[in-house]
Amino acid sequence: MRYKKHESSVIEPDMTPMIDIVFQLIAFFMMVTNFEQTQADERVKLPSDQLARPPVVSREKVLVINVGFIRDKEGEKTDPTAYVFEGDSKTPVLEYGPRLKEEKRVAEALYGPGGHKDMIIEIRADAETPTGLVQELIKLAQEAGFEKFSLRAKQLIR
Amino acid sequence: MKIRESRVAATKIEAQMAPMIDVVFQLLIFFMLTLKIIPVEGDFNINMPIGQQATESPDITPPPIKVRLIANEDGSLAGVQMNQRQLGNDSLAFDRLNAEIGNLVGRRDNPFADELEVEIDADYNLHYRFVISAVSACTGYVSPESGQVIRYVEKVKFAPPRRPAG
Repeated sequence: MRYKKHESSVIEPDMTPMIDIVFQLIAFFMMVTNFEQTQADERVKLPSDQLARPPVVSREKVLVINVGFIRDKEGEKTDPTAYVFEGDSKTPVLEYGPRLKEEKRVAEALYGPGGHKDMIIEIRADAETPTGLVQELIKLAQEAGFEKFSLRAKQLIR
Repeated sequence: MKIRESRVAATKIEAQMAPMIDVVFQLLIFFMLTLKIIPVEGDFNINMPIGQQATESPDITPPPIKVRLIANEDGSLAGVQMNQRQLGNDSLAFDRLNAEIGNLVGRRDNPFADELEVEIDADYNLHYRFVISAVSACTGYVSPESGQVIRYVEKVKFAPPRRPAG
């Protein structure tokens, strides 16, 4: 009687397709990950508009100011006061003047005397913020010596 | 003399895939966890130079178009006015404002079309979203055919804030 000789039965799966897919996934996540938007604060619910288009040329000297409310998990306001958020700290909008003057000094130290004048103050304000407070914030920034402002909004795609 | 035959075994070197796959999975998990889906943001430039009255040029410039936004007590929109003209308070009010500004800018006999300026005068408690809508309506519109933004007025500024009494 003849016996068939069995070869070693360790099955090595073909890894190539899996690695291909995994590399595709990594490439995808690397492309869509945006590390630049770190100054945006998630607590701010921006208004949306069709005409809000990102600037064609990225700006160099920008100071982002996030204005919003403290909200619970359902998104309801728990405090009617509007705050300027900076990381974990929050300052009522009308008390933000000294901080802006500090920013002016920092800008002058970085870019030289008068360097703050080219700096754009980007205001990211919550859709429900009273307009008067945004105007007061612009006024405080003007008093600190800033001249250029832009109002940020989400791009609405219809 | 006996010649030794050096038998070279088949030299197929198989690369160790396990460590590479480990690292690749680590990378994949890192990028998956750090991914934050952020909606695209854009902005509107506001023209608010300091001491504008003092540096105003002696040339004759047209007076700014005054857009008044009136608020209800809860911050919702009570009315839109352009140069004292009522444009309503519904969602179409900003479309009407856009059309009015378009008429002003598009008139061929208007020599100041490029120099037009809009001054937005909003109530203190009005929700900011309505101001953005008004700024957008004054700035231009998106062409339905091409999807490009057609600009009307580049200069938009705010009137001084109307602080509530007391």
